[in-house]
Amino acid sequence: WTIHVSVFQVVMKIIKHYQEEGQGSEVVQGVLLGLVVEDRLEITNCFPFPQHTEDDADFDEVQYQMEMMRSLRHVNIDHLHVGWYQSTFYGSFVSRALLDSQFSYQHAIEESVVLIYDPIKTAQGSLCLKAYRLTPKLMEICREKDFSADGLKKASVGYENMFEEVPIVIKNSHLINVLLWELEDKSTAADKHELLNLSSSTHLEKSLQMLMDRVDEMSQDINNCLFFIPLQYIQRRQQENAQRQSRGEPPLPEEDLSKMFKPPQPPPRMDTLLIASQLSTYCQTIKEFTSQNLGKLFMAEALQGTSSYS
Amino acid sequence: MSRFFATGSDSESEESSSADEITPKATGTTFNKNKEAFTPNLILCCPLRFRFEELTNIIKTIRNAMKIRDMSKCLEEFEQLYRAFLKSKTIVDKEGVPQFYIRLLADLEDYLNQLWEDKEGKKKMNKNNAKALSTLRQKIRKYNKDFETEIASYKENPEQSAEEEEKDDIGSASSKSDDDDDEGITAKSLMKKKPQEEEKKAPEASKFLKGAADEESESDDDEDSEDWGSDSVDSGGESEDNEGAAASLAVVFLKKAQDGDKQHEPKKDGRRKRHKKIEQVEEEVDEDGEAEEGGWEKVKGGVPLVKEKPKMFAKGTEINSAVVIKKLTEILQARGKKGTDRAAQIELLHALSGISNENNLGQGILVKIKFNIIASLYDYNTNLAAFMKPEMWKKCLECIDELLDILFENNNIFIGENIAEDSENLAISDQPFRVRGCILTLVERMDEEFTKIMQNTDPHSQEYVDNLKDEGRVCGIIDRLLQYLESKGSTEEVCRIYLRRIMHTYYKFDYKAHRRSLGLQGETKSEQDQEESEGEDSAIIMDRLCKFIYAKDRTDRIRTCAILCHIYHHALHSRWYQARDLMLMSHLQDNIQHADPPVQILYNRTMVQLGICAFRQGMIKDAHNALLDIQSSGRAKELLGQGLLMRNMQERNAEQEKIEKRRQVPFHMHINLELLECVYLVSAMLLEIPYMAAHEFDARRRMISKQFHHQLRVGERQPLLGPPESMREHVVAASKAMKMGDWRTCHSFIINEKMNSKVWDLFPETQCVREMLVRKIQEESLRTYLFTYSSVYDSISMETLSEMFELELPTVHSIISKMIINEELMASLDQPTQTVVMHRTEPTSLQNMALQLAEKLGGLVENNERVFDLKQGVYGGYFNRDQKGGYQQKQNYQRDQKGGYQQKQNYQRGGYRNQNQSSY
Repeated sequence: WTIHVSVFQVVMKIIKHYQEEGQGSEVVQGVLLGLVVEDRLEITNCFPFPQHTEDDADFDEVQYQMEMMRSLRHVNIDHLHVGWYQSTFYGSFVSRALLDSQFSYQHAIEESVVLIYDPIKTAQGSLCLKAYRLTPKLMEICREKDFSADGLKKASVGYENMFEEVPIVIKNSHLINVLLWELEDKSTAADKHELLNLSSSTHLEKSLQMLMDRVDEMSQDINNCLFFIPLQYIQRRQQENAQRQSRGEPPLPEEDLSKMFKPPQPPPRMDTLLIASQLSTYCQTIKEFTSQNLGKLFMAEALQGTSSYS
Repeated sequence: MSRFFATGSDSESEESSSADEITPKATGTTFNKNKEAFTPNLILCCPLRFRFEELTNIIKTIRNAMKIRDMSKCLEEFEQLYRAFLKSKTIVDKEGVPQFYIRLLADLEDYLNQLWEDKEGKKKMNKNNAKALSTLRQKIRKYNKDFETEIASYKENPEQSAEEEEKDDIGSASSKSDDDDDEGITAKSLMKKKPQEEEKKAPEASKFLKGAADEESESDDDEDSEDWGSDSVDSGGESEDNEGAAASLAVVFLKKAQDGDKQHEPKKDGRRKRHKKIEQVEEEVDEDGEAEEGGWEKVKGGVPLVKEKPKMFAKGTEINSAVVIKKLTEILQARGKKGTDRAAQIELLHALSGISNENNLGQGILVKIKFNIIASLYDYNTNLAAFMKPEMWKKCLECIDELLDILFENNNIFIGENIAEDSENLAISDQPFRVRGCILTLVERMDEEFTKIMQNTDPHSQEYVDNLKDEGRVCGIIDRLLQYLESKGSTEEVCRIYLRRIMHTYYKFDYKAHRRSLGLQGETKSEQDQEESEGEDSAIIMDRLCKFIYAKDRTDRIRTCAILCHIYHHALHSRWYQARDLMLMSHLQDNIQHADPPVQILYNRTMVQLGICAFRQGMIKDAHNALLDIQSSGRAKELLGQGLLMRNMQERNAEQEKIEKRRQVPFHMHINLELLECVYLVSAMLLEIPYMAAHEFDARRRMISKQFHHQLRVGERQPLLGPPESMREHVVAASKAMKMGDWRTCHSFIINEKMNSKVWDLFPETQCVREMLVRKIQEESLRTYLFTYSSVYDSISMETLSEMFELELPTVHSIISKMIINEELMASLDQPTQTVVMHRTEPTSLQNMALQLAEKLGGLVENNERVFDLKQGVYGGYFNRDQKGGYQQKQNYQRDQKGGYQQKQNYQRGGYRNQNQSSY
């Protein structure tokens, strides 16, 4: 399973879309079009979802999509819906909304993917485009809407295997490749190489900040879990048993807690799972970033060393 | 009432006469004794007549509307009638439902039913009328249910009940006037013919009432008192039938109208007789002084017979003290009673004092009368909230002045509250006079009245200034009384008057003493002389008075007030240490919340003044602390008693509002709120900005001043930042400049034309304060600069710093040393080169972030373990044991936070490894 993405019809369009409409942490979204060929999904075109404000609430997105696709068919472009794309801010994209919409896509169109485009990384010099799909296990759970701890356990879904990343191959038509070669010959070298930028702290700080926010959320969640269990009762019982033990009496039997307390709604685990997943994504990106940066720094050191010696 | 008079009538006592004098209906009854018998009728009639007049009027219009079939009018009037009836409920309850009312109800219902049946007629009616008809019909049906029995009885025999009424009427008529039977009959027949006319005339009749009354009174004279006694009982019985009472007046009138000829004669007769009578009475008066006086009193109470009034004593009476005292007590008896004309009473007392002066009755009596004049001046306003009229106030001041004059001149007058009424000695001049009364209370009351006047005057008007000029007089009076009491009064009294004096002194800035302390002598010799002759410094006075109170006072409140005033005075004159020590010694901060609101307000004022004083002295932290409580609540205005907040308007009711209004401090004593806020904000700025710079990355940073932060946030929220306008904006702009260590901009924002005129010029020592401020701004800016930019420097020359901030080198040195000692700045001083060498041990922001994250993760892991522990059950095996190790290490880490960064990190890592080992 690979995904082949065309540069001009998809990648550039997505980047343009973000440049034009997205700012800061704002997110842009759009539809991917393409078709399945053998064992690969070819994404050959896309179009953005229009930004619409609160006041035109009667705007029909589905209608718009259908209209758009019909128009595209008229000009003989691939019009099969194969997923959607979304921009991200410092790699924060794992959310309930994404899960839900990707689930509905994947439910309706088996082969759909979500392309995540990271504009900030791209601005730093390396295009960052990633394709994700929900794992079959998660699909199962979402279909049954069983987000309880037991359900997740049974399905053995952890944060690691919620999403699967699909490798992307970016392809151009041969004609375009030729054109690019020609252009490269003609163009003078770029003055600035973003790729070699040595400053790392702002990006890291931002990432850390986001990471921290997530950790806070996680702690909150865990606290909820703590209070979900009738803590005081258990502690009392523990103490009592300890006393009994010291007196040499048999400990009180462990009663079924669910009988004594009306079991409150167990907190849904899905959000925690999502947060965990997001955390792992953050860690991944930070790791990646730092390793790259370290490389750059070593490189810079070496350069400086040689220059000072010479 | 009638019963009271029935019993009272046979006694000649003064009591009855004095009671008489307040009954307003005693018009023209200058005659004593036996006349009282007839008054009840009139008095009883009064409310009844009024009420029923209203009713009958409405009924009349209803009947008219019925005649012209104007239903909407009918409905309107009926509703009014209903309301009027409700109003007269109390009387109705006593007397029963009046017949005419029932009659109308019955008639109206019949009439409406009749209209209702008449389909033809209904069709012809216009819409409004038809609608009104149906609603009215419904209403009256419902309403009439309450009067079912009465209406039934009326319907059974309408004639009879009408007759009954008339009989009643006649009965009362005959009992009232001494008509013969014939007249009664004629009246009766007249009424039978036109029962409606009677109603119409009823109100008119009332106009004639006076005449009728005259007539009656005249006729009374001819009668024996015995007769009247019995009659009054009769009339009491009759009056239960309201209609009777009301109609009886009409009868009187009717009768008169009928035989007008007859009437004229008796009237004239009556007049003549009356004249005679008055003469007679006057003769009587001459014979019997006391009774006569009672008689004259009565005149005053009612509609005055002006001619006789000014004469206090009949001609020829020998005026001696006994008579005057008697007279005085009589006047005083009227005091506080309803219907007493208070203005007239004051007049009377004045006249009396004049008389006693003329006749040289001695100072004792004069003092007594003066006391009472002042008291009745205070009495003039019954409402506590109302304030004295200017003329009253002037009079009051004069009186008190005169009283004090007398007291000073005559050493042999003893006054006091505790002198019993009967042990007074007013007249006998060879013994010391003893007069009951408390001059201190009067003066205190005067002071309160003064406050009230000031509270109720618009502070921005010329009037306020004029009123304020009286303050000098008030102070003068207080001073004189103070002298008087110092020689004669008890310690408690002295304490009280001292407090008054203090209250008038503490808030005034003593410019003379201030100038003297600055060593500026008056320009010319004469001025200097004048200055010196004008008495001691207010500080010395305050000190003397307060210390006396501290030593002698036994009531806590006076002492508390005195202490607070003393502190305030100290603070006002920049004697910060005295003020602070006194505040701390008094321990007022601990228990002020138990005091009453006025004292609390005083306390708040004192604290504010203390804070401002500290600010002037450059003790920014103290200033901030003192002002924090007042400012942080956001209710400074209310807490200082300088106005009510609109916000609370709906929360409190009118009563509370009145009370709060009474607590307000007069305008001339106000503390400038803008000054207060500015001082607070500037001191907050001087504290907060360096603090913020020092703890930029600290997650657990506390705010020093919430309000200051609030202002900053407000400033940030502004979409477009223009040049600052208000005081707050200036401070915010200055704070921003200081944040960057730019002291010049900060300085120009804090001290400029606008701020000078708004705030700084309000201080007595403007220049000193400004200099202090500049210096503080320089110092704090330096600190901020070092905090903010130390990470950029490897080393920095102190000379450069001193140039940058225009501070002397030693100052810079001391500031930096202090920072190093307090471990605020990780640096060391290099003496030979005069530079500061940074150690660069402060973590960068990224490192700070990482530290925070680590901390948070620690918490997360801990929580996670707890959850896991619970899930595992009681004996979670090796977890518990190992966990403890982890905890301990964590605690160590926290304790060690102050230590070097390097160490910390190592530690942290170690801790983590341990924890990880233990949990997984």
